[in-house]
Amino acid sequence: MGLEEKLPEGIITTQLETLVNWSRENSTWPLLFGLACCAIEMIATGSARHDISRYGSELFRASPRQADLMIVSGRVSNKMAPVIKRLYDQMSEPKWVIAMGICASAGGPFNNYAIIQGVDKIIPVDVYVPGCPPRPESLLYALDMLRKKQAKDTFRTYANLNAPPPPVVPDDIESLEALRQPQLA
Amino acid sequence: MLNVSPRVREYETLPGLNPLGIPAVAPLPTGESEDTNRLVERFGDAILAAGLHHGQQVVYVKPEQLVALAEFAKRDPALRYEALIDVSAVDRSELPISDSRFHTVYQLRSYARKQHLMVVCPLDDRGEPEAPSLASVYQGAIWPEREVWDLMGVHFADHPDHRRILMPESWPNHPLQKQVPVGGEEVPFTLTWSDPEFESFGKQILAAESKPPVLPPGMNIENMIINMGPHHPSTHGVLRLVVELDGETVVNVDADLGYLHSGFEKTGENKRYKDFVYYTDRMDYLSAMSNNMGYCLAVEKLLGVEIPERAQVLRVIMAELQRLASHLFWLSTHVLDVSGTGMALLMYATRERERILDLFEMACGARLTVGYMRIGGVSRDIPPAFLGHLEEFLKAMAIRIDEYEAMLTSGPLWQERLQGIGKLTRDEVINMGLTGPMLRGSGVDWDLRRDAPYGGYENYDFKVPVFTEGDSYARYLVRMEEMRQSLRIIRQAIDNLPDGPFRVEDRKITPPPRAELDISMEALIHHFKLMTEGFQVPPGMVYHGIESSKGELGFFIYSDGSAKPYRLHVRGPSFNNLYAISKMSKGAMLSDIVTNIGSIDIVLGEVDR
Ligand code: SF4
Repeated sequence: MGLEEKLPEGIITTQLETLVNWSRENSTWPLLFGLACCAIEMIATGSARHDISRYGSELFRASPRQADLMIVSGRVSNKMAPVIKRLYDQMSEPKWVIAMGICASAGGPFNNYAIIQGVDKIIPVDVYVPGCPPRPESLLYALDMLRKKQAKDTFRTYANLNAPPPPVVPDDIESLEALRQPQLA
Repeated sequence: MLNVSPRVREYETLPGLNPLGIPAVAPLPTGESEDTNRLVERFGDAILAAGLHHGQQVVYVKPEQLVALAEFAKRDPALRYEALIDVSAVDRSELPISDSRFHTVYQLRSYARKQHLMVVCPLDDRGEPEAPSLASVYQGAIWPEREVWDLMGVHFADHPDHRRILMPESWPNHPLQKQVPVGGEEVPFTLTWSDPEFESFGKQILAAESKPPVLPPGMNIENMIINMGPHHPSTHGVLRLVVELDGETVVNVDADLGYLHSGFEKTGENKRYKDFVYYTDRMDYLSAMSNNMGYCLAVEKLLGVEIPERAQVLRVIMAELQRLASHLFWLSTHVLDVSGTGMALLMYATRERERILDLFEMACGARLTVGYMRIGGVSRDIPPAFLGHLEEFLKAMAIRIDEYEAMLTSGPLWQERLQGIGKLTRDEVINMGLTGPMLRGSGVDWDLRRDAPYGGYENYDFKVPVFTEGDSYARYLVRMEEMRQSLRIIRQAIDNLPDGPFRVEDRKITPPPRAELDISMEALIHHFKLMTEGFQVPPGMVYHGIESSKGELGFFIYSDGSAKPYRLHVRGPSFNNLYAISKMSKGAMLSDIVTNIGSIDIVLGEVDR
């Protein structure tokens, strides 16, 4: 680009990065998707009193293709795990995950045959929110933490993911290798 | 008349003398009642025992005569047990008794005669456990029996749809059997993604083999089959419906449950009685208070504890507030699903709901998972400012309900989407074992608060709204009127709130006040014993049902005399009510399914448990 030569080095990319990150921070659209009790607090966060739209996140998208953020709001059962994995894979990059509540973070009170001890065993998590359920304020705080993380994103992170990650079939869940590859690249 | 007393044994144990972990003898009924006598008269030797147990009518019957007994109980004009409320089973392999390993337990209900009957059927020990299916007598048996098969491994002969219902099809065991461990693992909080050990953690997830999908029975591949859920905005959680469509018309619906199965019952059997209270919050998470209440009442029935008056009234206030909160949430999501333009009502209704949650927070510190009620009373007294806020709320809420109604009740859009949709007749709802607003919307005048009063509800004056249309609109009207009646009940409760203790003064059941711990060694010991060992509950079995916002919430507890329930079964109203979805939706438009789901008012935490 001609403009780039005239300006000091790096100006365009860094400023553009800031701009892109700024817009991502302020319009992180969550996936419309609730699992258990925590989902009720998530809805409470979205409605009258707590008003998540101050964060630009009021648009809960029903389609994973349009969502940037997956709020895993509740316990993940063995039967639900492959579904969550698939939903996550269907979301387009860049995407983030908040594990809301102790169940999604580590299984919580349900240390038994039915519940997976933490959603981070099947998908990577950016922010963990403690609580059972976390209050709406906690979820908003988690969004704040996520914004800090988003602000540090660089184009390089994405450029390095040169190819789109291969579609992961449910069989791969066991190995997790397919999932981690893009992360480490 | 036949004399049943020779078949009846007394308990051989005394409460408290029974050391932890050593199970006691089977609970057998004593005495007699008219209904049990009639059954004994009719079935003679097929009845193994009959009588009263904790005030409940209980009949033990041989499996060969079970179907005949159900048929007779349903048709006989002197009995008229029209509905099957619940089916569960007990695996007795850890009891020191050499009779049959599995017992199936049925709860029958007569609406006309306001009676409840528990039928226990000890199964044959040879070979696979098998019970006759009651599906031919009560349609409401179909799903609960599938659940018993899935979780307990009891096979039901001649069941019309014998599949697993909650666990994945390829699950290796039946988790509620006693030899199956509760599962779970230690959670290491220090691992990161780069740890080599991390790999093995995913192993607990079932390997998802790629199999061609199995169509539910009765579906035709020629038609279009679509999946609604488990990730769908209007299924209110993780419900999956397999819908067969002919054009836009629904031919068949099959619900696939279990996406939120959390093993409550198995967990409960491994927790002390007092510790399970907090789990009940997380079952129907929209009515935590009602769940608390149902569970505590069931355990108190076993213990034979009477709670103080003030605690009773406080419980009623909280339970009714919870009913309001739950109905408000139902209203907001229902409107949002159905009309698409209902965002305004969502905002209004959640505004009021937040006020209720504030009141809960005042009383116990939590908004959603309250754990306010405890066995023997409530966890603490309400703060002085509580009643003032409650009064204010009551005033505002009465006006708000009128406002909601003004927005909806005679709105053409609302009427068009609800009237005539999801119609169920009186016979159908009774036969399917539905409860709550589903029952009252189809002309059955039944409310456990009035007809089988518990927790002091007999002292309140309120109306039970009943509509006969049986469509979604009728159920909407029922719930709106219930909200008004809840306000009335709370009003009366405030006016009659007595002073006094807020929990029983029995140190074996409730902890001593904090101040006593510093000065009294005895209090300290009681506190220590209670927190480390819990308390022992005399052997017996109870079923206790309460009217929660969704319908009849029942707890079936089988105690062996130790500090943990030997078997704990929850009858979730949403689970049984959801069974109606296929009947309601057949022949309707696809979009009506959304109305029907909303109108049943399900909470998946309770459906899947
Ligand atoms: S963390 Fe608590 S509130 Fe959230 S889903 Fe788990 S049990 Fe429910």
